Amino acid sequence: MHFVIVPGSDLPIYRQIMRQVTDALSGGRLRPGDKLTSQRELAEQLVVSPLTVKKAYDELEREGLITTERGRGTFVTAEASAVDPREQRERLRPMVRQLLSRARLSGVTVDVLAELLNEEEQHWNTERDRQS
Amino acid sequence: MNVVAFQNIHRSYHRGTHVLDGVTFDVEKGRVVGLVGKNGAGKTTLLRIAMGMLEAQRGTVRLFGLDPRREPMEVKRRVGFVSEDQILPPFMKVSQVLDLHRGLFPTWDEGITRDLIDRFGIPLRTKIRALSKGQARQVALLCAVAHKPELLLLDEPAAGLDPAARREFLETSIQLLNRTGSTILFSSHYMTDVERLADRIVMLHEGRVLIEAELDELHDQYSLALVPHNGGTSRAEVDSLESCLGIRDRSDALHAVFNLEPDSAARLLETELGITGSLCRRIALEDMFVELAGGQQ
Repeated sequence: MHFVIVPGSDLPIYRQIMRQVTDALSGGRLRPGDKLTSQRELAEQLVVSPLTVKKAYDELEREGLITTERGRGTFVTAEASAVDPREQRERLRPMVRQLLSRARLSGVTVDVLAELLNEEEQHWNTERDRQS
Repeated sequence: MNVVAFQNIHRSYHRGTHVLDGVTFDVEKGRVVGLVGKNGAGKTTLLRIAMGMLEAQRGTVRLFGLDPRREPMEVKRRVGFVSEDQILPPFMKVSQVLDLHRGLFPTWDEGITRDLIDRFGIPLRTKIRALSKGQARQVALLCAVAHKPELLLLDEPAAGLDPAARREFLETSIQLLNRTGSTILFSSHYMTDVERLADRIVMLHEGRVLIEAELDELHDQYSLALVPHNGGTSRAEVDSLESCLGIRDRSDALHAVFNLEPDSAARLLETELGITGSLCRRIALEDMFVELAGGQQ
């Protein structure tokens, strides 16, 4: 899977890495048995300290989402259901809040926002169908 | 185990200006510590003291338990050093500089040397004085790391490099960490580089350690509080709170950095000073630097 990190954000880099694994898991892009990029490789890919990557993987392992087998690599062990859906929902709240305040400032109603969301979802789906 | 130990380091220059005014901290083995602070905060002086190039007027420094002034050879053999104003012999060819270092260090690694020469595209037959600033820094880095030192001391290694060379420098450092697991103490003004490379930071301010923390702690346990002017709160009142690390009077509000997570900072302001309209939030490293090091007046 492909990771993206943003230094300078107020979320520590190790948590950005963790979050992307849990998001991928709950969204079905990672499944039990999938192999994750090795810690060393990921550190070089993202240009972040190997200790930071280790910390993210250790935490994920502690949460029971992944496991590292010596000499073989790191694998996903958890099902999507292991990720708390409420937590995933709450993570979106700050973004929704921001969206709402922007919409208010420019006089856009919640109905119009819902319309926009539907349009984008449709666009997303057609893109996905076209690619598969 | 501590690879570097600074204990109550004092150093002042003529006219009694204190550059370092009692600095104490350790660097554990395998750690990458970012040393930050504004120009004149004492970063370079501290790193020079660690290298034994300068002597502390009070206090002790130990590298691997050794005094760098008394056992300079033993210490230098185990340390790699790169500084912003490093001087390589200008009339020597790159290949001669490398030969010189190869001869000095029994642990010199030809694999790392070849890798870095290829990666940086270092011209071996060119004289040092004909290299660009970036190329010269790359040669210095190569000399600092090819003997696989247990400790790397880097003083503003990326200063003056263009963004591509800076990134290359970071990538190389991370590969070296992967390969050799060295301990690193580096100073930098580039906070995003610090976030990428370091797992711990030490912020020097006016010759003292203002913050020493894990980078992750910084995100979780520090916050910026904006205290509106209209409540009539004085700067001194907020500053007197023990967990307040620094405060600035800005046109929009008082900006105070707290060693507390945002909710606790807001509660503290309310219970201690009766301030209800403060806005407390987490703070990124760069903003923290600006708030604490930028104009205290």
